[in-house]
Amino acid sequence: MPIAKTMTHADLAPRFKLPRWRLGPFVLVVPALVFVGAVSVYPVLLGLWLSLRNTTLSSPEDAFVGLANYQQLLSDGGFWNAWIHTIEFMGASTLLETVVGLGMALVMSERFLGRGVVRAAVLIPWAIPTVVTSKMFGWLFDGQHGIVNYLLRSCGLIPGNLNWYGSPELALPTIIIADVWKTTPFMALLLLAGLQTIPRSLSEAAAIDGASPWKRFWSVRLPLLAPSLLIAALFRALDAFRIFDLVYVLTGGGPADSTEVLSTLTYKNLFSALQFGYGSALSTTMFVTEILVAIGFGFFLLKRFREVQL
Amino acid sequence: MRFSAHLEYVDMHKNAVPPNTLSLPDLSAAGAPDGLPASGVNRREFIKRTGLALAGATAASTFVGPRRVWAAGPVELTFASAKFYGKQTIAEVVNAFNGSQSKIHVTYKELPPPSSSTEVHQTLVQQLARRNGDPDVFTQDIIWIAEFAAAKWALPLDEYFKDSAKDYFSGMVQACTWQGKLTALPWFVDSGMLYYRKDLGFNAPTSWQELIASAKQATSSGGVKFGFLWQAKQAEVLVCDLVSFIGSNGGAILQPDGKTVSIADEPAVEAVQLMRDLINKEQITPSDVLSWDEEPSRRPFTAGEAAFLRNWSYVWKIAQSDAESKVVDKVAVVPLPHFPNKKSAAALGGYQYGINASSKKREGAVEFVRWMSSPETQLRFATQLGLCPTRAAVFDRPEIAKEQAFMQPLKDVFLGAIPRPVTPKYPQVTLVLQSEVSRALTNGNVKEALQTAKEKITTIVKA
Repeated sequence: MPIAKTMTHADLAPRFKLPRWRLGPFVLVVPALVFVGAVSVYPVLLGLWLSLRNTTLSSPEDAFVGLANYQQLLSDGGFWNAWIHTIEFMGASTLLETVVGLGMALVMSERFLGRGVVRAAVLIPWAIPTVVTSKMFGWLFDGQHGIVNYLLRSCGLIPGNLNWYGSPELALPTIIIADVWKTTPFMALLLLAGLQTIPRSLSEAAAIDGASPWKRFWSVRLPLLAPSLLIAALFRALDAFRIFDLVYVLTGGGPADSTEVLSTLTYKNLFSALQFGYGSALSTTMFVTEILVAIGFGFFLLKRFREVQL
Repeated sequence: MRFSAHLEYVDMHKNAVPPNTLSLPDLSAAGAPDGLPASGVNRREFIKRTGLALAGATAASTFVGPRRVWAAGPVELTFASAKFYGKQTIAEVVNAFNGSQSKIHVTYKELPPPSSSTEVHQTLVQQLARRNGDPDVFTQDIIWIAEFAAAKWALPLDEYFKDSAKDYFSGMVQACTWQGKLTALPWFVDSGMLYYRKDLGFNAPTSWQELIASAKQATSSGGVKFGFLWQAKQAEVLVCDLVSFIGSNGGAILQPDGKTVSIADEPAVEAVQLMRDLINKEQITPSDVLSWDEEPSRRPFTAGEAAFLRNWSYVWKIAQSDAESKVVDKVAVVPLPHFPNKKSAAALGGYQYGINASSKKREGAVEFVRWMSSPETQLRFATQLGLCPTRAAVFDRPEIAKEQAFMQPLKDVFLGAIPRPVTPKYPQVTLVLQSEVSRALTNGNVKEALQTAKEKITTIVKA
């Protein structure tokens, strides 16, 4: 009996301990889970749910309508117009910023007098609030008094003033220029960090083997920089996709919807017209498109990492 | 009943009345009125004060100390309004109300300025949609009245203000009425108007043809760079300009029934074609207006570069300021021109009072709005903040002629102003108008764009 009793105790002890030990980590993640759930998962799910309803804040309408919002969206010329502008903006600004940013990063990775100052100074455009940048570019590209028109006219490149924000052909490119000016430093810095992880000895070895500077860049440094490049471009693309402030301040989506992007269209539907249902369908579509873009980049990244491993 | 009235007096003493005009012994002492000054007190005052002291004494003994008396204090109201300012701010006017009586205490919640009207609208809607009575009183842009009324957020005011409605401009009362019910009380009026340079040797134009001729003459003689500036940015201001162009040809965007869309009818098409022609054919308007709202169009005018400008009343003050304007005393204001044999029209603007239908303090809110819309307060808003009165009688007061010389000549402009489409779906309608009219002005396919607008708006207002 006494032996049996001791044995039961020995049996019970781990039984009591085991579940406690298993639950422990979960208890510790609960605050994080609750936090992420409250600020990220819940709003996304609520957005999805709202996109299936016809909720309009200023009217009693609030019923489940299934996929009607998405049907309306697919046949809405305004949506496709904005979708195309967003993709154009994302593609053009990401490409330009990557190319220019890479150039800046290559320069900044060389040793020269005042390099520290240049590296710090280059960040200034990125540190300026976007609304301020917007106002600044509003003045720079002003159709009547802007300095850009003045310079181009003085150089004889244009016969008369160009109406940068007032013509449908020029408005979006002008906004892209403003974005490139503002965000290229961010790309440059990310790529500079990537460049510094590549050992100098590799370039030097190639130089000894007689590779030209271009060859050294194209065949040695660029392939090694590719993962950084892809990650930086991914960040930039996702960020550029939700462009809002420049458009909102500079053109309000006009003229003739030529600068309307998904964010401004969604904002107008959600907060001006207060169509929470349709607006949520719009933002869900944005969400899905962003996921697709991320998956695209992820695919290339994965491929790249596999190649490195092989 | 009498008792509660005395409680209010106690409060008045505590809150507003300077201590030397009405001195009352400390309530907690609950004593006789021995602190009264002997001289300069008439009988009425004396009785009041005795009553006060007695009430104080009773209150102190009945409700366990003076804290209870405090709790029966003024009705607390909240008032949300877009930010306006001049020599005074809205907060100062609200404080004046708080100081003028003791029953009601209003807390002012400042919203963004009217130039950020989308944000003001959004904030108001979010608060009103909660239906928790906060804010009790608010001010609304004239274009939201139908929306707020249809959503039953705005309290119908007929039973409180039926008799005083006749004192306001009838157009304003009309704009404050939704489906036969007065749901807003007029605060101030504004409208689009034509500013012109009176030093350039032409008379004020009454028709668009005259304006075009004068503008051409002014630009070709080298006096100014631009003929006529207005606003065509894809924004609310484009709809304001649109309404005045279409109205000046006897047309309308939406018929008063709120269902029939007439934006693709002949008068409207002609009007939008004129807008396009001012830029492309007559070339008295630079194509830059396609991205200009109020301020970008105002700056060249006050810098002396333009002959004509369509804008709101705020420009007058700037045009007459030596620091900001090169055209001081060279500017005059008239109603906008019109098509042959038609009448001038301007888009009606301005903010109006509303009472939250969910407010639990209705009587207090009505009292506050009555004071805010009273002739004296309107006069104060006019002279101190430059906001044009909505009461005809106040408009003619000599103080206004002295302080804000520009206002009185504008009376006719305001009387001729017409509302933008009146429908609870206005926020959706205006987005369609902005997009399609901007398209018409950019590519010149006026009929096609207006037809599209008509179809889209019809779907919206029928839904």
